[in-house]
Amino acid sequence: MELQRLRTVFRTALELPEEAEVDGLEYRGIEKWDSLAHMSLVATIEDEFGVMLDTDEVIDLSSFDRARQILEKHGVVLAD
Amino acid sequence: MKTLLHPDAGLVDAATGERLTGRELATRVADLAALLDEEPRGLVFATATAELDSVLRILAAWEANRPVALLDPQITPAALRDLVDRFRPAVLLNPPTLVDGFQPASAGLGTAWRRTGPAGRAPHPDLALLLTTSGSTGNPKLVRLSRAGVHGNAAAIAAALGLDGDEVAPTTLPLHYTYGLSVLTSHLHAGATVLLERGGLTSRDFWAAVDRYGVTSLAAVPYQYEMLRRLRFAPARHPRLRTLTQAGGRLHPDLVADFHGRMAEVGGRLFVMYGQTEATARMTVLPADRLPAKLGSVGLPVPGGTVSIRTDDGAETTAPDRIGEIVYRGVNVMMGYAESDADLARPDELGGVLATGDLGRLDEEGFLFVTGRIKRIAKVFGVRVNLDDVERSLGHHGPIAAVAGADRLVVVVEGTDPDRLAGIRAEVAAALGTHSSGVQVRGVDALPLTPTGKPDYRLLEAEC
Repeated sequence: MELQRLRTVFRTALELPEEAEVDGLEYRGIEKWDSLAHMSLVATIEDEFGVMLDTDEVIDLSSFDRARQILEKHGVVLAD
Repeated sequence: MKTLLHPDAGLVDAATGERLTGRELATRVADLAALLDEEPRGLVFATATAELDSVLRILAAWEANRPVALLDPQITPAALRDLVDRFRPAVLLNPPTLVDGFQPASAGLGTAWRRTGPAGRAPHPDLALLLTTSGSTGNPKLVRLSRAGVHGNAAAIAAALGLDGDEVAPTTLPLHYTYGLSVLTSHLHAGATVLLERGGLTSRDFWAAVDRYGVTSLAAVPYQYEMLRRLRFAPARHPRLRTLTQAGGRLHPDLVADFHGRMAEVGGRLFVMYGQTEATARMTVLPADRLPAKLGSVGLPVPGGTVSIRTDDGAETTAPDRIGEIVYRGVNVMMGYAESDADLARPDELGGVLATGDLGRLDEEGFLFVTGRIKRIAKVFGVRVNLDDVERSLGHHGPIAAVAGADRLVVVVEGTDPDRLAGIRAEVAAALGTHSSGVQVRGVDALPLTPTGKPDYRLLEAEC
C-alpha cells in the first residue's frame, strides 16, 4: 500500500496544508498535533486502514514513524 | 474556616516524585504566605500550572488572604497586558512574559514580580479568587469569588462525592479552569492527595502515574470522555481507580450510560455534575447509584445549595416538569463580575442567587435536567463561545445560524456544496483557534424560521 495514504491522513487530521512535510512529525512537536488532534488522527487512521488500535497503540502513536510501525503490526504495510 | 488545607492533605508532583503532606505542606504554604505578606498589598495574578511550586504559591496567596486571579499559562502577551492594565495587580507570579512597570519580587517566591508604581484599588476583603469567563477571544470579564464560596464549595463537593483521605486525584484539567481547580480544592479540603500531572490522558506518563500513585478518581469533560472511549478505557486495569466525575457541559446520554456501565462492572462509580464558574464550580451532583434511573439528569444540589426554576411569567417554582431558567442559591454563588480594578472593591452583588442562563426542569424527586440555554452560548472543548458573535463573523456567507451541540459548535448554512461547507468549517475553527472536530457545518436548503423571522434555534438545537 502507498505510504502517501498515511501522509494524507496526517495532513487531514492535523489540518496541515497539502504540501506539508509530515514524515518527521512527532506528537506535540508541532502546535497542530495536540491531544485533540491526536484523537482525530487515531480515528482517521482507523477509518482509512480498517484497523482498531488498542489503548497502548493510541498512546504509543507518537510520531509518523510509529504510526507506520503500528500499522505494520496490523498487517498494513506501507511503502513509497 | 481560615485555611483550605486539611491537616492530612497532600500534593505529589508526578514529574519529580516530590511529595508534600500534612504539616510539611502546611509549613511550606505558610512560609510562602509570609514572603507574600512583604510584597505590595493588593491583587495577585498567578498562572496556574500543575507543578508543585505553582500550586504552593496559589495556596500561599489564599493563606495570606490575598485575592488571586488564576490565568491560563498559555496567555498571550497582549492578553496579559490587557488584564494587567485593567486590574492593576500588585504581584505577578510566574507570568509567561515580562510586563512593564514591574520589578523582581522576593527571590523565595520563584519567578515573581512586584509593581513599581501604585497598585489598583484595594480589593474587597471577602474576595479570594478571580477566574476568567471566556476562552481566548475578547476582553474577558473576571468572576469574583469569595473565600466563603471557595471553601464552602470545596466542602460541598467533597461531601457530595464522599471524598476522604484515601482519595488520590490527578490534574486532568487546567487549574485556571473552574472544574480543574475544584478537583484541587475539594481534595485538599477533604485531606486527600492531588497528583500534579501535566501529560494528560493521551500520554504514557499519565497512565504510568495513575498506577504508580494509586489514583482513585478521574475528572473529565465531554471531549475527554470521547478520548477515554477511543483509548478503550478499562477500569479493571487500574484496580484503585473506581470513580469518574463529569462536568463541563452536556455529555451525550449514550456516553453517560457507557461509562456508568464500565465503572459499575468493577464496583466503581460515575458522577455527572453541573456547574458554572459563576457558582465557584459545582451546583449539582447526580448520586452515582441513582444514575440508571435518572439518565440525562445532572442530579441534586450540592449540600447547602438549592435549585428552582423561573418560568416565563417570572415566578419561581420547584414543581416538577416546569421548564424555565435554572436559578441556584448557595454560598458558592459569585460576588459579581469585574471589568476593572474598581470592580474588585465592590461587595457581594448577587446575595447568593444565581440566574444561570440555562434552561431546565426538575422531576418529582427534585432531580435537575438541563434542557438548553437562554444565553446564546456554546461550549467547544469546554471553552465558551458566543453564538451571536459566530453568526456575525460569518454574515458574508448568507443566511446562517450557530447553535450548541454536545461540546460542539454547529453552524447551519443555506446551500449544500461540500467544498463550501468545508471552507466555512475551516474558517470557523481557525477563528476560534480550535481543532475543526469541534465544529460541525450542516447545509440545509432553507433555515427554519420562527414566526418572527428569526432562525428557529430550539428546532435546530433539537436536531443536533
